[in-house]
Amino acid sequence: MLSMRNISKVFKTDLVETHALRDFNLEVNEGEFVAVTGPSGSGKTTFLNIAGMLEGFTHGEYLLDGVDVSNLSDNKSAAVRNEKIGFIFQGFNLIPDLNLAENVEVPLRYRGIKAAERRRRVEQALEQVGLGARMKHLPTQLSGGQQQRVAIARALAGEPRFLLADEPTGNLDSLMARQVMELLEKINQAGTTIVMVTHDPELARRAQRNIQIVDGQVCDFAASGLGQQQGLRQDQELTPLADLAADFAAKAKASA
Amino acid sequence: MFLYYVDLAWRSIRKTPFLSLLMVLAISIGIGITITTLNVYKMMSFNPAGERSTQIHSVQLWSQGPDSWDEFDVNRTYQDVINLRSANLAQRQAAAFRTGMALQSDDESIAPVLQSIRVTDSDFFGIFSVPFLYGSAWEASVDTEPAYQVVIGEKLNRTFFKGENSVGRTVYLNRKPYQVVGVIKEWNPQPKYYDPTNGAFNDAEEIFVPFSLTPIEEFEVWGNTNGWKFEPMLTYNDRLISEKAWIQYWVELQGKEQIDAYSDYLAGYVEQQQALGRFTDPKQPRDKQRLVDIAAWLAQNNVVAEDNKVLVGLSVLFLSVCLVNILGLLLTKFLKRAPEVGVRRAIGASRAQIFAQYMVEVGSIGLLGGVLGLLWAVGALQILSARFDIADGLTRLDLSMWLITPMIAISTAVIAGLYPAWVVCRTKPSVYLKSQ
Repeated sequence: MLSMRNISKVFKTDLVETHALRDFNLEVNEGEFVAVTGPSGSGKTTFLNIAGMLEGFTHGEYLLDGVDVSNLSDNKSAAVRNEKIGFIFQGFNLIPDLNLAENVEVPLRYRGIKAAERRRRVEQALEQVGLGARMKHLPTQLSGGQQQRVAIARALAGEPRFLLADEPTGNLDSLMARQVMELLEKINQAGTTIVMVTHDPELARRAQRNIQIVDGQVCDFAASGLGQQQGLRQDQELTPLADLAADFAAKAKASA
Repeated sequence: MFLYYVDLAWRSIRKTPFLSLLMVLAISIGIGITITTLNVYKMMSFNPAGERSTQIHSVQLWSQGPDSWDEFDVNRTYQDVINLRSANLAQRQAAAFRTGMALQSDDESIAPVLQSIRVTDSDFFGIFSVPFLYGSAWEASVDTEPAYQVVIGEKLNRTFFKGENSVGRTVYLNRKPYQVVGVIKEWNPQPKYYDPTNGAFNDAEEIFVPFSLTPIEEFEVWGNTNGWKFEPMLTYNDRLISEKAWIQYWVELQGKEQIDAYSDYLAGYVEQQQALGRFTDPKQPRDKQRLVDIAAWLAQNNVVAEDNKVLVGLSVLFLSVCLVNILGLLLTKFLKRAPEVGVRRAIGASRAQIFAQYMVEVGSIGLLGGVLGLLWAVGALQILSARFDIADGLTRLDLSMWLITPMIAISTAVIAGLYPAWVVCRTKPSVYLKSQ
């Protein structure tokens, strides 16, 4: 589904070069629920932006659904994002002037779907997140958890095969977070591949696979999904910092 | 998608009413001023002759002597007019000048009025495509055998004859009876191209009398009389035989062949007159005669004053200043919405779609500005009309201006919006998604 090989991302200014990702390798299979964790500044969001084609990368190869998306034009990138990828953000990112139904239908508008079909999908998506009765409400009239559910409905309305979630529960209390997580699990069970960035080890444990990013690299080699396929040794890929992170991940697994 | 963009545009305008109002006002004021000056300019520079512009010619001769002015005179002397008329070489030809007389009818309840009158030949009506309501021009024979006949305008016919067919009825000019032979339909070319020197934007005359009556009735000249030497004018005959130029002379010529033939005739005429001791100016150009078509005639008479051109330039400059202001306001407004753009980009909008969305928004602002600008322009023209002595034709908003104004306003807004929309559509979505 998603295959990143030797991806590097360097942010340059006049004074400094920041290597946000270096030789980043990751395979995500169709239908997987992958949690991505790591300390702040480790490159999680950069990875997610690249995975979501919101940002380019400096080196490497990125195949999405078997298609090399490294050098797509802006129009094609937008079309791929629109048709294949759904986004859920920590800050919900709903458009405040639009009501719930209008927010959810935005990606469908850009896909050129006809009004009747849009209406059907919007209703279905909002029903799915339990907000079918509040279609005409504005985002400001909802709680944080409800807003995040609308964001999930927006992502679902486009029927994406691949859902990217950046700290989807980061702004929610634990009850709301659990509800959102349950919703994501349900979506995954229905066949949608999910990659979720999170700081919360509890939530990460609920995913099928955990990826630890440290210093711009996948530090849990086995979790990257590449090692066995390519016959590489784990110690070739691990950095000293990655050792620490691997230890952290092991502890997290043990406590699960 | 267009309707979706229009919907988003109206929401955005409503969301920031003050900022939107500022932009609409800026565009409307710029457009209002530009359209006002453009309208006046357009009406002034309009060529009412249309396709016939190249067929109608003012005959001009370098007829002056030494120590005179250095350009062709727009008028002819009486003796030249008589000579040219008697040659009768053009398809149509007409002498014309303006006079004034006291006008009366048989109806004593209508007080006599001093009326501006055109003295001309029968061909005048054909040359200038004057439409007739009743009757026609006087017979061509009247141009050589004077008769007290008159063509009147529709407005005068309404006043004097209640709009009925007045052909055969009588009007009195300086107490002399003239028989009505024709009534022309309302006809008021703007500019009054057949005589711009007597007020290019004055109304057309309502009375036309035969030129052949000039030496008999000794019509006063209500217009320019140009002379290059002192000549005593004790009698009307002194005027007729003088070198004073006061009569326009028009010919209608179809095609290059007729124009060339008439030019050759004029060249011969000039040589003949020089042999007789006239046209003695040593500064005279190689061609001492010329035929000036209507477009060149309007330019020669400075129908569109230089001031007016400068005013149009200044108003466009003002519109440009408004455009720069709008650009700044749009940039502020659009950058504020960059986070929303980030979301739209993330969920599938291309740069082109975002650009189109914002272009529709600036177009909508432009349209509002254009509509308001039209109202400003109508108001400004009304004020000009009320406060200054300006011809009605110049203060009436031309139909084309009603159509072109929204286009100009939308184009102005779109030009102002290009850079802000480009900036916002280039926004990296990832920058705003995390920070929202």
